[in-house]
Amino acid sequence: MSKQGLENQKNYPLHKKVREFFWGGWFMQGLWNYERQMNTAFMWGISGTLDRLYPEPEELEKKKDRYNAALEFFNITPQLGAFVLGLTAAMEEKYAEEPDNFDPKSITAVKSALMGPLSGVGDSLFQGTVRIIAMSIGISLALSGSVLGPILAMLISFAVSFPVTWFGGKLGYTKGTELIQQISQNNLMDKLMYGCSVAGLMVVGGMAANLVNITTPIVYGETLVLQNIFDSIFPKMIPLALTGIMYILVKKRIHPITIVFSCFLIGIICNYFGILAV
Amino acid sequence: MLLKSIIIGLIAVFARLDSRILGRLNFERPLITCTLVGLFLGDIKTGLAVGAQMELVSLGFMSIGASGYDMNMGSIAGCALVILTNTNIEAALAIATPMTLLITLIETLTSILRINMAHMCDSYVAKGEFNKAKQIHAVYGPLLYSVCSFVPVFLAVYVGADAINAIVNAVPQFVLNGVTLGANLVAFFGFAMLLSVMINKKNTIFFFTGFVLAAYSGLDLTALAVISIIAAILLYQIRYDNAPRLQGAGGATGTADEFDELDD
Repeated sequence: MSKQGLENQKNYPLHKKVREFFWGGWFMQGLWNYERQMNTAFMWGISGTLDRLYPEPEELEKKKDRYNAALEFFNITPQLGAFVLGLTAAMEEKYAEEPDNFDPKSITAVKSALMGPLSGVGDSLFQGTVRIIAMSIGISLALSGSVLGPILAMLISFAVSFPVTWFGGKLGYTKGTELIQQISQNNLMDKLMYGCSVAGLMVVGGMAANLVNITTPIVYGETLVLQNIFDSIFPKMIPLALTGIMYILVKKRIHPITIVFSCFLIGIICNYFGILAV
Repeated sequence: MLLKSIIIGLIAVFARLDSRILGRLNFERPLITCTLVGLFLGDIKTGLAVGAQMELVSLGFMSIGASGYDMNMGSIAGCALVILTNTNIEAALAIATPMTLLITLIETLTSILRINMAHMCDSYVAKGEFNKAKQIHAVYGPLLYSVCSFVPVFLAVYVGADAINAIVNAVPQFVLNGVTLGANLVAFFGFAMLLSVMINKKNTIFFFTGFVLAAYSGLDLTALAVISIIAAILLYQIRYDNAPRLQGAGGATGTADEFDELDD
């Protein structure tokens, strides 16, 4: 292996490398495809490292080989993609340094082993918790007519997304392998998922109760107001029941479009006969 | 009208690119994009109201990987048409739903193109033309997404306004009220979809905690969000921080170190 390539890579400033991983992460879904999902994105994110490591014309075959390895199936939560890119870059560097002692297959193995758990924790952190909290705050402010709602929602999302991607890329490159060992030793994934599920689920519970108030206008005679009876048993009984029914429908895997259209139909019927009201 | 439609189309491009080249910063969500639509059409108040309403309804519709079903594009067109035709804000959802179907169809059709583009990447690498391979991902991929978002949203706004006006005038009032009720029912479908990915036997209790807390206290969501974050930290500490100390000091410092690194 040429010394030139390794020197290129070692002399390249760290923050510039991290910048590549960062943008690699954020561009993760630039060419999402059903065949190998985010494969081209991974190739794009690692390409800077590979270009530096294999600059000589006689290394072209090797370079193609590494590019092809980067083009294998890949899928991850974009923000955590930077971490995997950083880690892979560090491993590629090691492979270029000791091509005889380092099995390049382990790079692919580590990559594919990380996809599942990292995406699991990433999706529940970003989609399930950060997004829910940012949007619930945003909605409640926006409903009272404040532009602060969407602005705050954007700020909260950015304030989590940016540092996780940037420092994820940096940590992945500088001490990725150590970190993975620590994470699996300490069950960090489970711990994070636990924290996310507590915060996320409580907010979803609060939303189901308070954001949309559906009541029933049904009245028998003069004295019997059905809603009052419901309220005296448990406030927000109808929203809770609706959430339950919808949950069953989702579990039965009925297509979203079918459910949405049915909602409109049921809405028109229930409104016409005075069964439910907003 | 042409200029306005182009601006709305560009907002759609911005929303689409959020998940493509900005790692999904939630800028694509209706709350943000509808506010932008309102800002550019000179009616920020309606934009906010439609945004909040659409966000509420579609909160649970998330697009992870392939099973993408989101109302982001539909919301933009719906919000723009509501503002341009002066209809009531619930009509936004009625416009967004068929629009979402159309977008999903386009998405499916172009997915074939994207597979071909990924194959082009392979063949450029095989030829040693690495820069061209990179270009396909970083330039042509996002470009394809942009075109596929711009065209349908632009057309819907450009030619849709008259059609919407005609429909709204023809439909009786009780149907419009029913659509409003239906829109609010869809919100529960959203909550249920969120729950289905988050919930398991052990953590169901947290959903009910949030629900009961909100139902009895009537606290707004900002307060609830803060309370739930505190609860999460508290429960985390109770559950995990004591364990290593029981096993000796070594375990405890181990955990502390690891946190420092992650907070870095």
